[in-house]
Amino acid sequence: MLSFITRRIAAAFGTLFLSSILVFLAVQALPGDVATQILGKDATPDAVAALRKQLKLDRPAWERYWDWVWGALHGDFGTSLVSGKAVGGEVSMYLGNSALIAIVTVLFAVTGSIVLGILAGLYRDRWPDHVISTVSLVGMSVPEFVVATVLVLCFSVALPWFPAVVLYGPDASVSQLLPAVWLPALALAVVMAAYIVRMARTSVIDVMATEYVTTARLKGLSTWRVVTRHALPSALLPTLHVIALNVAWLVGGVAVVENVFNYPGIGKLMLSSVQNRDLPTIQAIALISAVVYVVCNLAADLATMALNPRLRTRGRTR
Amino acid sequence: MSDIHHPGRRSVLAAGVASAAALGGSWLLTGCSGAEAAPVLPAAAAKGAPDRGGTLRIARPPASDAETLDPASSLSAYEYLGALYNRLVRVAANGELAPDLAESWETDAKARTWTFRLRKGVAFHNGRAFTSADAAYTLRHILDKATASPQAAVLAPLIDPEKLGTPDAHTLVVPLKSPNAEFPSLLTHYNCYVIPDGSAKSIGRTGIGTGPFKLESFAPAGPGRVTAYKDHFAGRPVLDAIAFYSVADMSARSNALLAGQVDLLSQTNLDFATARVVAASDRATIARVKNAQWYVLPMLTTEKPFTDVRVRQAMKLAYDPEHVVKVALQGAGTPGWDNPVPPNYPAYISAHPKHDPEKAKYLLKQAGHEGLAMDLYTSSYDPLFTPMALAYQDSAKRAGIRIKVKTASADSYYTQIWMKKPLMATYWFTGRPVDQLFTQIFRSGSSYNETAWSDKQFDAVLDKARAEIDDTKRRELYGEAQTLVIERGGAMTPMFADRLVGISRKVRGYAEHGFEFDYLNIGLKGA
Repeated sequence: MLSFITRRIAAAFGTLFLSSILVFLAVQALPGDVATQILGKDATPDAVAALRKQLKLDRPAWERYWDWVWGALHGDFGTSLVSGKAVGGEVSMYLGNSALIAIVTVLFAVTGSIVLGILAGLYRDRWPDHVISTVSLVGMSVPEFVVATVLVLCFSVALPWFPAVVLYGPDASVSQLLPAVWLPALALAVVMAAYIVRMARTSVIDVMATEYVTTARLKGLSTWRVVTRHALPSALLPTLHVIALNVAWLVGGVAVVENVFNYPGIGKLMLSSVQNRDLPTIQAIALISAVVYVVCNLAADLATMALNPRLRTRGRTR
Repeated sequence: MSDIHHPGRRSVLAAGVASAAALGGSWLLTGCSGAEAAPVLPAAAAKGAPDRGGTLRIARPPASDAETLDPASSLSAYEYLGALYNRLVRVAANGELAPDLAESWETDAKARTWTFRLRKGVAFHNGRAFTSADAAYTLRHILDKATASPQAAVLAPLIDPEKLGTPDAHTLVVPLKSPNAEFPSLLTHYNCYVIPDGSAKSIGRTGIGTGPFKLESFAPAGPGRVTAYKDHFAGRPVLDAIAFYSVADMSARSNALLAGQVDLLSQTNLDFATARVVAASDRATIARVKNAQWYVLPMLTTEKPFTDVRVRQAMKLAYDPEHVVKVALQGAGTPGWDNPVPPNYPAYISAHPKHDPEKAKYLLKQAGHEGLAMDLYTSSYDPLFTPMALAYQDSAKRAGIRIKVKTASADSYYTQIWMKKPLMATYWFTGRPVDQLFTQIFRSGSSYNETAWSDKQFDAVLDKARAEIDDTKRRELYGEAQTLVIERGGAMTPMFADRLVGISRKVRGYAEHGFEFDYLNIGLKGA
């Protein structure tokens, strides 16, 4: 089991190394560079050349890559080419705001969708299942910005309960942001929940068909007890992975929703950095997203193993 | 870039996402009414006097994270400028010059030296009196290479910063390197707001000017606030304060208006679907800025086949601007007939060749380009680019011209497509004086000359006009310049479009034209 964990962690680092190269290359491939983007239409070729030199864009790519990775390993992501501030500080401020949305989203999505998924599984092919499955399928198919726009129309414009957009800057306090968190979180939860509902439903159906559940039932246990004691833990296992992947998706999917709500989070920072060709910021965000992805996957794998005796033993005998 | 694409440039942020969201939003909102329905849009905002006091909340698209309050900079936070500062001269609604900090101005017989008489008893927000030294300093600051002001390119060929004269505290003398009868009009640009002497280093943060509002707070690409300056020379503004919020996404801006979080969307030309939704709302409505922007299909005259003037003429004769206005603008605008001078300007001439697909066909045949096929580039940078391109495509078919409309990425549109592809869609703000319009956009070698058109006769007419101090004769010369642009130039100008501005139903006294916004008289009713 130890060797499995070691290999799994080594693979995670390999993935991160590869993604750092891909991130760097992808950012280089953006059309138009920061010098032309900063100077705009008025740029003279001289001014562009001077700015490129000042920003060290005239050096070979591998040199710049090495500097970047070396700095990032020491927690230094460079300075923003646009605002001139340290990228690390900027990114963590925006990331903090997004984390607020992410926490609320995960709470909404995970609790809500597991309950719904189990209900659908238990009432398989009866009307509660049909309703839940249809609604979750719709949620899965509709893009985030449509869900977000509908929510704004209902709960900001028609019923003025929540703000439609955030008018504060990135340095807003948690209490300032809190009223604006619910709609974006709900929009993300709707899209994210659909996958978890489907997964939980399938697991519950599978587990309920197993022999040990039949045995438990024959022993005369109530349905509720069978579900909570026996079915639920086994049904949760495969769902874990889906949840982990969805948390990772949040980092990227949040960009669209944050834009609709003008929420000062990491997604909005990413969009404006791409627009401004602010390379150090884009690279930092992309790398952090990669870390989140890898860590979520790793955590899901390890948790699955910890919870599943069969996987544990297989790891040992190998 | 800041100069021209003021509204669009800042709302580019994730234009794909934005337009998709707008589309999704407006589709949901308009239901099945469909795109072909005529716009049910009010012609003007509510009339009547505002109440005194109150805070107006404006949502604006941020210029960039590196925004500054230095008016001369290309990254200036545009909406703050007119509130905080004044210029020497401004543009009246009819396109004529009007006094601002300069009460009057005159030139010598050769239009080589200009003398400005400055307003007395004006004080900056920090209490210091405004004098000619501040006016001279402002010009030197614009011309300073370190400022990298877009307006420097326009003024540098005319002014030697060393030779500016300040014979007394209220007189500014500007000797020119070459005659220019239209020189004061160049000072109406929004980069020319007057700042205090010696303030270059701090002005980007302090925002100290003579304007109707003084700065309370400002964050680049973030929120900010200005409060009424009671000692302003034209009297106290109606409002107590203006709160500025930056909202990068266009549909987020209109949602904020619909939800009653803001009162006015600055630099936002709403698309028709959104405009209809806003106009139907209880809280908000639409105000129009007549002929606020002019739309162009520039043909790069240095690229084949547009090097041949007959092809350019054929491209112009081939399409019907009235059709484009009807289809792309749903009637909310004026046909351009390839003349970039706005119809309400004194120098405007109305003569133009008629739409003639047969003649276009004949010209193309003569030039050896029968059945011409071209790619026409657009993007979601502005909601009207693609409708205009499609309307042109449709209209030009009758002359046998086959146009393929290609959509490019919005955020790199002005670095990758503009002035690089032979045929594309773009637009400009109206509101620049006629000499500046021709000099910046049509004169040989100008950095904004988007068709790379170079015509010696045209340049000569411009030089002659600049040196002509007789107003009637100068107007005739600008008429001649228009004729040359229409007949030989590379720019097709299908239409002038009204800008659809989303405002709260409480707003009174909203007035905007070109780069001018009336900060003094705007206010709220029953706020």
